[in-house]
Amino acid sequence: MKGIKTLNMLSAVVLSFSLLAGCGGNAGSADKSTQAANSQFADPDLNIAVFQGGYGREYWDTIAEDFMKDYPGTKINITASPKIAELIRPKIVAGNPPDLMYIAGSDNTSLLDGLVKDHALLDLTDVFDSTPKGETQPLKNKILLGALESRAMAPYGDGKVYAAPFNFGVMGLWYNKTLFKQKGIEVPKTWDELLALNTTAQQNNRALFTYQGLYPGYLEEIIVPSIYSVSKQKGLTDFFDYNPTFWTSDTFRQVWGVLEKIATEDNGLMKGTVALNHTQAQTEFMQGHAMFIPNGTWFEDEMKDAPREEGFEFGFLGVPAFKKGDPVTAMTSVEQIVIPAKAKNPELAKAFLSYLYTDKSVKLNAEKSKGILAVKGAPDLVKEYISDTTYNVYKTVDSGMVAINGSFKSVAKGSKYNPSEEVYNPISSLMNKQMTLDQYSAQMTKLYTELNQELVNNTP
Amino acid sequence: MKMKTRRRWFLLFCLLPGLLLLTLFKLYPTVEVFQKSFYLWTGIGDEPKWVGFQNFIDLFHDDVFLLSLRNTGFLMLVVPVLTLFIALINASILTRSKLKERGLYRTLFFFPSILSFVVIAILWSFIYHPTIGFLNSGLDFIGLSSWALPWLGDERTVLWALAITMIWQAVGYYMVMYMAGIDSISPDLYEAAGIDGATPIQQFIHITIPMLWEIIRITIIFSINGVLTISFIIVSIMTGGGPNRHSEVIMTYLYSQAFSNSNFGYAMAIGVFVFVMSFLLAILSNRLTRREAS
Repeated sequence: MKGIKTLNMLSAVVLSFSLLAGCGGNAGSADKSTQAANSQFADPDLNIAVFQGGYGREYWDTIAEDFMKDYPGTKINITASPKIAELIRPKIVAGNPPDLMYIAGSDNTSLLDGLVKDHALLDLTDVFDSTPKGETQPLKNKILLGALESRAMAPYGDGKVYAAPFNFGVMGLWYNKTLFKQKGIEVPKTWDELLALNTTAQQNNRALFTYQGLYPGYLEEIIVPSIYSVSKQKGLTDFFDYNPTFWTSDTFRQVWGVLEKIATEDNGLMKGTVALNHTQAQTEFMQGHAMFIPNGTWFEDEMKDAPREEGFEFGFLGVPAFKKGDPVTAMTSVEQIVIPAKAKNPELAKAFLSYLYTDKSVKLNAEKSKGILAVKGAPDLVKEYISDTTYNVYKTVDSGMVAINGSFKSVAKGSKYNPSEEVYNPISSLMNKQMTLDQYSAQMTKLYTELNQELVNNTP
Repeated sequence: MKMKTRRRWFLLFCLLPGLLLLTLFKLYPTVEVFQKSFYLWTGIGDEPKWVGFQNFIDLFHDDVFLLSLRNTGFLMLVVPVLTLFIALINASILTRSKLKERGLYRTLFFFPSILSFVVIAILWSFIYHPTIGFLNSGLDFIGLSSWALPWLGDERTVLWALAITMIWQAVGYYMVMYMAGIDSISPDLYEAAGIDGATPIQQFIHITIPMLWEIIRITIIFSINGVLTISFIIVSIMTGGGPNRHSEVIMTYLYSQAFSNSNFGYAMAIGVFVFVMSFLLAILSNRLTRREAS
C-alpha cells in the first residue's frame, strides 16, 4: 500500500518536471562566431518556410544544400508543411517570422493577403534591379513578361515589388484529345463555336460543360480571360478595382451570358455539377460525362490515379474568344515568395532568393517537383523533365495565345468581404436557375459600391 | 485532521500538471478571445486597434452572419429533436421487446459514433453524389428517377441533407445512453402497469419518459452543443458552405473570417457570440425541463 503511494508521488514529480523541461532555455545554436568568420554574411543562419504540396519538398532540400556549398559557412533551416500558414502564423504574431516564405496552396495564401493588408512585407525591388553574380543583365530581365508588374507581385500599385514570382501555372478549358481526333471535332476558337458543340456532345452521351461545383472560384479561369477578350485591360481594371458600373456593362452581359446559356440550355451543364467537389467533377469529366472543364496545368498530375474513359488524353484549348479571328486566351497565375519586413536576416534571404532564379535552380525545380518557374524560356530549358501535355500547354502561351493575369484590389482593412468569394459564390445560384443575371448584377453593384465606400472611409 | 490536510496537499500536487496545462491552453486563450473581440486585428503582426463594441454591432448588420445564424438555428432545432426522438424510441423498443439480436442492433446503431466525422462526411458525400450516389441510384432502381436531386447542390435540400447526416451520426450514441437508463428502471413498475392494463405506448409515456427525464435533460444540452461542433466539419467537407452560402453555419463563417479574411478580432466576436448563445441555451433548456421536486 505504502509502496503504491510512493510510486504515485514519484510519478507526479516526474510528470511535473517533464512539463517544465519543455520550457527550457534555448537549444544552443552552433558556434556562430566561427561560422560567421567563414562566410561573407554577417549572420549566416537562414530560416525558410515552404509550402509542401503537390510539388513535394525535395527541391527545397536540394537547392538549400547547393546554396550552402556555394556559400560556405551559411546554414539554411527549412520548415515545410502543407499547412504552412497555420504553422508560421503564431511565429509572425510573436514578431519572429521566418526569413523567407514560399506560401502557396489555397489553404495558405490568405495569410499573404493579410500580410499585404498589414504592410508587413519587405520591398524586394532592389533584388530584381541588381545584376546577379556571373550575369550581365539585371535579374528582372529574366522574369516572365508582366509578372513583376502584376498585382500579385506589386500589390500597392506603386511599381515596387513585394513578392517574388515562383512557379507559374496556365489555366483554361480542357477536353479529351482522343475523342476530338476520332470524331473529327474541331477545337472551338470562339464561344459560339463551343456552345454549338452541344449537339455533338449529346450525340456522344455527355454534357457540354462541367466545373468544380462546390468551389465556383474555379470559374475565374474562364471568366477573367473572357473579360479581357471583350474589353481588354479596361474591363479587367473595372472588374478587379471594384468599378460598380462593370455590372451594368456590355462586358458583363456577354461574359456571364455564356454561363447563363450553359445553365439554361438542355444538356449544357452536367447534371449535379453544383454539388460536386473538384475531384468528383474532374473524375466525371475524365470518364466522359462532360466535354469541357476548366482547370490548370496541375490537372494531369493531380488526377494521375483517377479512372478515365478508354483512350482519354488531356487536351488544353485555353479560353475561346468572342469575335471570330480574335486570339484565344488563357489565364496564368504565379506563386509568390516573400520576405517579411521583420525578418531577422534579410540580407541572406535576398541572396538566397536571387539564387532561386539561376538556370541550375530552374532545372532542379522541374526535375524534382515538375514546377515551371516564371522565367523566360523556362519550358524549353526543362523540357526533358515534364510531360508532353504540360510542355505543350506552356508552349501555347509562348505561341500566340494571350496570357491574362490579375487579382482583386486589396479590400479595406477590417472589411468583412472576400471579393473572390462574394463574386463567384452566387454563380452556384445562377447555375441552379435560382437567380437571374439581373438579380446577380444588382447584388454585385451593391457589393462594389460598398467596397469602394469602405476604401474611402479607410484612407487615413 | 492532519492526515486529511496532508492528503489535500498531495492531491493538489498531483492535479498541478493538469491544472497548469488547462490554464495555459484553455482558460487563458478563452479570456484572450473575450478581450480581443473588442479590437480590429488582422491576427498577423500589426498592433490590435481598440474598437469597443463595433465588432458586435457589425455582426448584426452582416447578412452572411445572419444567414449562417439562421442555418445553424435550423440545425440546432431539427437535429437534436429528431436525434433524441429516434434514439428514445429505438432504445425503448430494443430494451422492452426482449429481442435476441439486441446486442447486434446496439452495435450496429452505435457504429457511426466511433467513426471519425471526416470519414462520415466523405461517406455521405458519396451517398448524396448526384450520379453515382447510393441515394439517387436507389431512387432510379425503384422507378422514382424523377425524384433524384443533386441533394447537396440544391438550396432547398442541402440543409436537410446535412441534418440527416448528423442525425445518423448521433442516434446510436444517445440510444446506448438511453438503453442503459431503461435497463436500470425497475421491471416491477412495468409489470404492475401491465397488470393494470396499460398498453406498451402508455407504459412508454408514463413510465419510461418520466424515469429517464434526468438523462434526457442532459442529452438535450449535449446534443445542441454537439451540432455546433459537428456542423463545422460536416459543412466544410460536404458543401463548403455552398451552394451560394445556403449551408454556411456560424462556425464555418468564423473560420473563414479568421483564416481567409484575416479578421481575427471580428472572428473572436463571433466566437464570443457563440459562447454566450450556447450558455444561454443551456440555461434555458435547464429551466424549461426542470421538474418540481416531488
